[in-house]
Amino acid sequence: MTAHTVDADELAARETGLDQTAGITADILDHGLAEDLAVASLSIARRFHAGATMWCVSPRWEPHAHHMAVEFVHPVIVGKRALPALALTDSNVVAQARVSVRPGDLVIAVAAADDAAVLDLMRRVPAWGATSVWIGSGDRPATGAADHVLWIEDPNPLAPATGRFVLMYHLLWELTHVCFEHPGLLVEADEQCTEQVCITCSDEGRPAEVILPADGVFGQALVRTATGQEYIDVTLVAPVQANDLVLVHAGAALTKLGDQPSW
Amino acid sequence: MVNSESTNFLYPFIDGEERDAGSLLTDLSASAKAKARESAALQQSTLAECAGQVLACSTAMAERFASGGRMYCFGNGGSSTDAATFTALFAQPVTGRALGAVNLAADMSVVTALGNDVGFELVFSRQLIAHATARDIAVAFSTSGNSADLITALAEAHRRGLMTIGFAGYGGGEMANSDAVDFCFVVRSQSIHRIQESQALLGYQLWATTQQCLAAPSMSTGGTR
Repeated sequence: MTAHTVDADELAARETGLDQTAGITADILDHGLAEDLAVASLSIARRFHAGATMWCVSPRWEPHAHHMAVEFVHPVIVGKRALPALALTDSNVVAQARVSVRPGDLVIAVAAADDAAVLDLMRRVPAWGATSVWIGSGDRPATGAADHVLWIEDPNPLAPATGRFVLMYHLLWELTHVCFEHPGLLVEADEQCTEQVCITCSDEGRPAEVILPADGVFGQALVRTATGQEYIDVTLVAPVQANDLVLVHAGAALTKLGDQPSW
Repeated sequence: MVNSESTNFLYPFIDGEERDAGSLLTDLSASAKAKARESAALQQSTLAECAGQVLACSTAMAERFASGGRMYCFGNGGSSTDAATFTALFAQPVTGRALGAVNLAADMSVVTALGNDVGFELVFSRQLIAHATARDIAVAFSTSGNSADLITALAEAHRRGLMTIGFAGYGGGEMANSDAVDFCFVVRSQSIHRIQESQALLGYQLWATTQQCLAAPSMSTGGTR
């Protein structure tokens, strides 16, 4: 509360001796978070409109994964569309997501920035052709760690249990459904190859994940990329193993992508 | 029925010709901020109204935990996940003392077996009959306060001598008027989303205050199970 006008309710609450710093503050969405939520919601609505399934993950706070899924699949407001959303809660969430996520899908996580499983998941999402949303609090993840980072910069490790994260995905749901009332905006900008610099034809490298490593046949490996499966030449980066991430250009793997996100 | 074309002027983009997302994004972020402010205000007023109840309830919970009681939590849908968060807060806290707490919706084999064999209304009460003792605690999360499976479970818990806690919204529903509920926390809102957000903070405060009570010297004896 920047201006800090103290109303009667706040005064009464203060006198209770309860922790007043824990909950949702009136200024929680300031400093850009409201705008980030708006952009993420439009992106989510567009993906759903194009047929996406939303995969919900929260290794440390599993109930949040379930809450996000039930929010979208069984709306609290009668008459709103049921949208395909599922929670991924296996102990190996990356392996579970790998066989679940298809190009065009959404992956949404509630997790701290140092959550190893979510870090690993998020760096693979581009190779799977999905859009990623990362909700959390405390230190922010590195720039570009996800397509949409929705962050509350509060160091309290118990913030996930104070209603703040519930507010975040409730808002995502509410705003996503507002976007559905604007059908003209649900179709994403034309990605056809009309310019000379579209991503498919440019010199840009594309992330890929190895499905079948080279089996001795001319250094070829089967990989998945955002556009599907293809055989690529891996002689430059051999040997590769299943699930390795590589950067592909013109049908060849140029380099392996290490543990640190590089895009 | 009004001819839809005659009212189209009220909805300038109804024909799907809208292409510039700028004004929508501005509206979305303004709407998000308004809802966040509404949620913050509701949390404040809810805490102010329920503070005395939170302290009394936490003291009673701490006494039960200190004498070996266990807590059983349950709800439906999103409220079921809020019950699970509440359970995790007690059972696997980041700080403080870990306490015995169980989420009764967690075991899909039990929930589907009971739902299929005896009916969904009994999915939680039948588990309490099997597990609970008179020193335990039952906590139900609802937004309407009227869910039949929760009301049935709270009544069963009360009959067995458990301490019973209910979370509700709107006007409190059946839960607020039930003699079987020792502490009923009602979040006075008509929005399921805002109700759940305030219930989460109430749950957090119950946990924090229970931890404080258990840390007090008079409560330093006794185990967690």
